[in-house]
Amino acid sequence: MTASVSIHVATAEAMEALGGRLAHCCRAGVRLYLSGELAAGKTTFTRGYLRALGHAGAVKSPTFTLVESYQLESRVVHHFDLYRLAAAELEFIGIEDYFDADADCLIEWAERGAPILPTPDLTLMLRVLAGGREVQLQSHGSRGDEIVLSLC
Amino acid sequence: MNLRCVQDLYDAAGTRALEHYAVAQLGIAGLTLMERAGAAVFDELRTRWPAARVITIVCGAGNNGGDGYVVARLAAAAGLQPRVVMLNDEARLRGDGASAYRAMRAAGIVPTDSAAWFEGAELVVDAVLGTGLERTVEGVYAEAIARINDCGLPIMSVDVPSGINASTGVCHGTAVRATATLSLVSMKQGLVTGDAPAYTGALQWHDIGLPAAVYAEVSATAQAIAHAQLGPLFGSRPRTAHKGHHGHVLVIGGAPGFGGAARLAAEAAVRVGAGLVSLATHPSHAASLTNERPEIMCHGVAGAADLAPLLARATVVAIGPGLGMSPWAQKLWAAVRDCAQAQVVDADGLNLLAADPDHRAARVLTPHPGEAARLSGLSTQVIHQDRYAAATALCRRFGGVVLLKGAGTIVANENELPVVVRDGNPGMASGGMGDVLTGVIAGLLAQGMALRLAAAAGACVHAHAADCAARGGERGLLAGDLMPFLRAAVNPLPL
Repeated sequence: MTASVSIHVATAEAMEALGGRLAHCCRAGVRLYLSGELAAGKTTFTRGYLRALGHAGAVKSPTFTLVESYQLESRVVHHFDLYRLAAAELEFIGIEDYFDADADCLIEWAERGAPILPTPDLTLMLRVLAGGREVQLQSHGSRGDEIVLSLC
Repeated sequence: MNLRCVQDLYDAAGTRALEHYAVAQLGIAGLTLMERAGAAVFDELRTRWPAARVITIVCGAGNNGGDGYVVARLAAAAGLQPRVVMLNDEARLRGDGASAYRAMRAAGIVPTDSAAWFEGAELVVDAVLGTGLERTVEGVYAEAIARINDCGLPIMSVDVPSGINASTGVCHGTAVRATATLSLVSMKQGLVTGDAPAYTGALQWHDIGLPAAVYAEVSATAQAIAHAQLGPLFGSRPRTAHKGHHGHVLVIGGAPGFGGAARLAAEAAVRVGAGLVSLATHPSHAASLTNERPEIMCHGVAGAADLAPLLARATVVAIGPGLGMSPWAQKLWAAVRDCAQAQVVDADGLNLLAADPDHRAARVLTPHPGEAARLSGLSTQVIHQDRYAAATALCRRFGGVVLLKGAGTIVANENELPVVVRDGNPGMASGGMGDVLTGVIAGLLAQGMALRLAAAAGACVHAHAADCAARGGERGLLAGDLMPFLRAAVNPLPL
């Protein structure tokens, strides 16, 4: 294990700001797993991420649609939420086609798609604490190391 | 070490321990690990070479070859055309490798029997030899490596370039010169030092989904740092700082004809922020040496008596650059042996130490492999066979911190993991570079850094400055070219 850091996030605005900072540290094609209980801030983080890359509209949780895709100026970003999913459905939606080398994938509840999903560059674990949230970043290789390093 | 995100490195045995823990304690099947390894490699090659359709995958008999069979199966499933070259008879396959082979055959992929391995191919995957290698590569494997190296295509090595020792970085006779290498499960300590940097190409690693608990359970065997990780060390200075806060370096060196070496060390020490720098050198050139750098206080010293008042004022002593081995040099060397300050010993200082060894805690030795050989009484070849072990052995014998120069500079002390420096370039193989490093480390020590940190951070600062200075070309890079970049390397980035 190498890069692993914890960041304290006090407010929803700060969570959105963290998403924005992280977006600027990632090269196109990054794979982020977002884990944490309901209302831990995963979609708020994603909103910040998307806005930092120029998305102006709303960002809604893809709990029912499984995936929302955003065509942004610099790249495509896919936002998955696999909470309601059975593994067989993943193949049904052709999830592999989303993992293009240039498209960013932010995946909530990735553990539900574990055998089929590719391994991530970085896992973000969001925990609810008394004074806000704690986000733990865990890198899984060189690409993740780079992100953590440029973030802190 | 007080740095952010120091990268853990593992040797071959450490990596086996990680895998063993995942299998035995967490119940992850060995074949699952092989599947994930193949998937990580396939993912990486799709990212690097998205247009490649025909891929030749050369597989050895061991687990590295097994990873190759997984890559072949995934490539075919993605609509690519894998061509599998099998270097061994099917009967020699064992365990997970045999299972991966059967899965590949079940997917309809048959190893090629053509001698034209690379015909029409756009990319080669080297899955010949992995981390288990400990002896000279011969026979069909050596031939395969030669053919891969001659094919003229981009090469992706699985885990390690075949022929490179994953623990020491030594090339066992011959090795694949990869375009890119993906180290699996851990970043191997042998990929960043020794011969390896000439073979790995772009080097990355992937944990293939092993949980963080595995890495917490199995200790790393070394660590890597780069200048990018030093940020917290070099924040803004307090607005109330004065020169007395930043130490006084005394550089001792510069026999007649070699004044430049001592001058380079002294200038490097001021450029990384030492409060004051004095230079004790031979009286024959003391007056002329600092004409163009009046910030360095230059003193001609004939012997120990002249040196004593300078030693009394110094917080750190750097001895060796251009010192020589003359009776003059020996007198100065004898005078510093009993002084209490931390010392950086380089060049002829190391040769004088080799002639009369002692053990001392408050000291950084900065040998290149030749000097390390003289200090240890071994040959340069033996030093090169295992640079980690050589640096650690020198620490045990001489105490303090030992910095072993070369591609993948290693900083070792007795009780902590060795640290490898990931910055630097071949332009640094020129005269005076070592003198600059001596000054950098002394300058950081003077500002209060601990020995190991000053040596490791100093090597990063030095190598990073050389990388910046080499943007105009590695050939012809001068040690003096580093000076402006040294200053930038020890300050926070301008906003």
